[in-house]
Amino acid sequence: MIVESKNRRYARMAAAWFITALFVFPLYYWGTTAFKQAKEIFSVPPTVWSFTPTLRNFEEVFGISFGFLRQQEVLPGGGNFYMAPRLWDSIVVGLFSTALAIAISTFAAYALSRMDFRGRHHFVAWVLSTRMMPPVAVAIPMFFIYKDIGLMDSYTGIILIHALMNLPLAVLLLKSFFDDIPREIDESAIVDGASRWKIFRRIILPMAKGGIAATAVLCFIFSWTEFIFVLTLTQTGLKTVPVVSSSFVTSTGTAWGNMAALGVAAMAPAFLFILLVQKQLVRGLTLGSLKQ
Amino acid sequence: MAFVGTRGLRGYITGDSPVPWLAPLVAMLMVFTIYPLFYNIWLSFHEYAPFKRQLVYVGTENWNNLFADPRFWEALSVTFTYFFVLLAIQIVLGMFIALLLDSDEPGFGLLRGLLTLTLVIPPAITGMMFLLLEDPEFGVLTYILEGMGILSGQNPILATSSTALAGVMLADIWQWTPFMVLIFLAGLRSLPQEPYEAAMLDGASAFQTFRRITLPMMSKVIAVAVLIRGIDLFRAFDYMFVMTSGGPGTSTYTLSLYAWQQTFSFIKWGYGATLSLVSLVLILVIANLFIWIAKVRW
Repeated sequence: MIVESKNRRYARMAAAWFITALFVFPLYYWGTTAFKQAKEIFSVPPTVWSFTPTLRNFEEVFGISFGFLRQQEVLPGGGNFYMAPRLWDSIVVGLFSTALAIAISTFAAYALSRMDFRGRHHFVAWVLSTRMMPPVAVAIPMFFIYKDIGLMDSYTGIILIHALMNLPLAVLLLKSFFDDIPREIDESAIVDGASRWKIFRRIILPMAKGGIAATAVLCFIFSWTEFIFVLTLTQTGLKTVPVVSSSFVTSTGTAWGNMAALGVAAMAPAFLFILLVQKQLVRGLTLGSLKQ
Repeated sequence: MAFVGTRGLRGYITGDSPVPWLAPLVAMLMVFTIYPLFYNIWLSFHEYAPFKRQLVYVGTENWNNLFADPRFWEALSVTFTYFFVLLAIQIVLGMFIALLLDSDEPGFGLLRGLLTLTLVIPPAITGMMFLLLEDPEFGVLTYILEGMGILSGQNPILATSSTALAGVMLADIWQWTPFMVLIFLAGLRSLPQEPYEAAMLDGASAFQTFRRITLPMMSKVIAVAVLIRGIDLFRAFDYMFVMTSGGPGTSTYTLSLYAWQQTFSFIKWGYGATLSLVSLVLILVIANLFIWIAKVRW
C-alpha cells in the first residue's frame, strides 16, 4: 500500500464523509418528512432538524392507529391515502415474478455455461440486447395485446412482464455464477455416468446457491422499483407502490407527509435486501460482467 | 427418486442438446419481445380513427409525420442532451468519489454501504423526493440556492424551461452516481499494486499515475459501466413523468415520454408506436456499436 501523509489522510476522510453526507441528506430529509406535521413540512425556511415527530402519516397510509389520530379518524380501506393494499400488490408481483424469472433462467444459464453449441455467442448477445429495449417500446404494444387477451389489470399480466424484464439480468448473472464452478467437477461426474439433469440438480444448483439467492434479490428489487409497465398495464385493479406516488398530488396540494410515509415503507425492505447482497452487488449491476 | 414416472421428459433433459434447457427462455423472449416488436411495426402503419373507433391503415403517414414533427426533434435533442451530459457527469463524479473512497481507513466500508442505498429506491419516488426538495416555496434546495443568490424567487427550478432539465438531471445524478462509484471502486480495488510502486519510484505525479496506469487498467470496467448506465439514460422516463410531465414546453420531453404521452394521453396509438420504435432502433444501434468498438464481452 502506498503510504499517505497524515494531513492527506485527514483531508481524504473529511471529503469522503462530506460527500457521503450530501448523498444521504435527501434520504434523511425524506425520512423525517414522513414523521412531520403539515406545518413543519410547509414551513419557510424548511424544517430540517427540530420537529415534533408524529406517526399520523403512517396511520393514514396503513389504516392502523398508534394513537396520534383519534380512532374514528383512521379509515382502514376508506381514506384517500390508504395504501396498504398497494404494498401487498408490490410484494405479490415481486415474489412471483422473481420466482418465474429464476426458474426460467437457471435452466438457460446452465446450458449457456456448460454446453457448447453453435451460435452460443450470438444467443448471449440476443439476450443482452433484450435488456436494451426501451420499456416504452414494449409497454405500448403489450397494452393492446393485454387488452385483447384479457391480461390487463391482472396479477398474471404484471408478473409475466416483470419476469420478462428481469430475464436478461438473471440469465447473464446466473451464467457468470455457474461459470465460477470449475468445469472439472461436472465433467468427472459425466465420466461417472451422471446425466445432465442430475449434474444440474446435484452439483450446479447446490454450489451456486449463494449466487442464485443474490440474483433473486436483485430481480425482486427491480420488480419492486419498476414504474412504466405497471403504469401502462394496470388501470383500477392492482397498482404497485411506485405508480401510486402521483395519487398524493391533490387539488389542495401534495400530501407530502403521507407520500413520504409510503416512500419510507417502500425503501425499508429494499435497503434491507441490498445489505444482504453487498458482496454480489457490482456483479449484479453489471449483469455478471465484472466480479468484485 | 422424485422423477420416477417422468421418464420421457427425463430422457429428453438428460441428453446433450441445449434445446430443452433454453426453450422456456426462448419462448418467453419470443412472446414478450419479438411479437410486441412486430406488433409495434404493424401499429406504426396504422392510426386510431376516433370517429370509426378503430385502427385504420394509414401507410407511411406516421413515418412521414415523424420527420416533419418539430416536437420529435426536440424530444430527440432532450434525450441526447440528457444522455451525454449525465453520462459525462456521472463518469467524472463517479471516478472522483471512487478514488476518494478507495481506502482501507476505518469507516470507509460504512460510507461505501451508505452510497449503495440510493440504487434501490424506486425512481418514481426519487422523483417525488426531488420534487419536494426543489419546491418553489418550501423546498430545501430552492432555499439554499436562493440564499446563495443563484436562483431568484420568480423562477422555480422545474417550471422554468432553462432550468427544468437540470432539475430533473439532479435526481438522476443523485440516484445513479453511486452506481458508477461502486463499479469503479470494485475495479480500483482489484488493480495490482506493482505498477504504482514502480511509478512512485520513477517520481510520477498523481495525475500522471492516474492517466498512464489507472485509466488504461480500468478501461474494461469503465466500458461496462458506461454501457449499462448509457442504456438506462437513453430510456429515461420515470423522473420526467413524475417531476415535470415533459414540461415546461418541451424542455424535459424525452423520446420515451413523448412516445408514451402520444399513445396514452393523446390516443395517437400509431404515432406513439412509431416514436417508440425510433427509440428502440437508436438504442440498439448505439449500444451494439459501443459493444463492438469497446470490445465489451460477456
